[in-house]
Amino acid sequence: MSGTYPNQGPQDIGGVEAGPVDTLDHGMKFWERQANSLRSVLQRNKIMRTDELRRAAEDLGPRYSQLAYFEITTSALRTVLLEKGLITEDELKAKMDEVRARFNVPDEMESPLKKGAAR
Amino acid sequence: MSEYKYDYYADKKLKERDGHHHDHGDHTHDHDHDDHAPVTEHDDGPPSEYEIMSRAMQELLEEKGVVTAEQVRRRMEVFEEDFPYRGSKLVARAWTDPAFKQRLLDDGKAACAEMGIDLEADRLIAVENTPEVHNVVVCTLCSCYPRALLGMPPTWYKSRNYRSRVVFEPRAVLKEFGTELPDSVTVRVHDSNADMRYVVIPMRPQGTEGWSDEQLEDILTRDTLVGVTVPRVATS
Repeated sequence: MSGTYPNQGPQDIGGVEAGPVDTLDHGMKFWERQANSLRSVLQRNKIMRTDELRRAAEDLGPRYSQLAYFEITTSALRTVLLEKGLITEDELKAKMDEVRARFNVPDEMESPLKKGAAR
Repeated sequence: MSEYKYDYYADKKLKERDGHHHDHGDHTHDHDHDDHAPVTEHDDGPPSEYEIMSRAMQELLEEKGVVTAEQVRRRMEVFEEDFPYRGSKLVARAWTDPAFKQRLLDDGKAACAEMGIDLEADRLIAVENTPEVHNVVVCTLCSCYPRALLGMPPTWYKSRNYRSRVVFEPRAVLKEFGTELPDSVTVRVHDSNADMRYVVIPMRPQGTEGWSDEQLEDILTRDTLVGVTVPRVATS
């Protein structure tokens, strides 16, 4: 049943032989729910359209099949935001460093949120 | 607990860790559909680079005034607490109101608008199961799905194996969902796209005569509206 044709994109997998379907719904991680919501808000705010995000996802080429669903959509969003000039590479890199550092706060360290939640 | 993830939603997480019950404000959960996506409040393990990238992009967009944190939070709530329950209400009405069913079949988007449902897509096509025809929905290219009716697509809907196979061996795939159809039934597979979404109107099972809307909605689960299963009446 499967076949290929010139310029077939990595997303074009209908009709390809594949294994059994895992029929369990594994749900979404918190960041994935948040990322989906961000995507939806950007579309509602008329910042971007579905087809722009899909084109950016399909342009991933061979990486497409190696990434998980929300890794694909996150990569696509990055591409479109950079293309539109809404963010720059440098800004994103700096902000990612900031977020990464925030995840590494040791337990002993004081933070207002932790204090607020102390019983 | 040697390390604690300090982040945006730290407040909620801390409350959970300390054993406070987390609720959704004034919203009560009176739904018991068991095939909606399980929801977890926080993620285990260190964040991936993609999670960090996603959070960073959101924060930059907030700083620039392109989105607000409130918009994103609100949208997440709607996706989880409103969207997943709309499809069963829509189809339960089609089951009990033949004129409405006809309007739904004629123009899905207009029928949704009648019920105050604003679809994200341009078109909604309702396809009706009959004794001769069974319908099943896929998006081979990605994950197009009537989110405003069913919430987020389940993991399998987005999976490579479902997308690849259901178009050429739907009976085999349906069997993996526990759905076996007689050979005499034609199986139609509908491939969605960004502008056009599908919803299945299953056959109303015998034994549901006189049921309330709520009872009908309970058997109109997500999987029946995608067409991988059919509504069942428990035999006691």
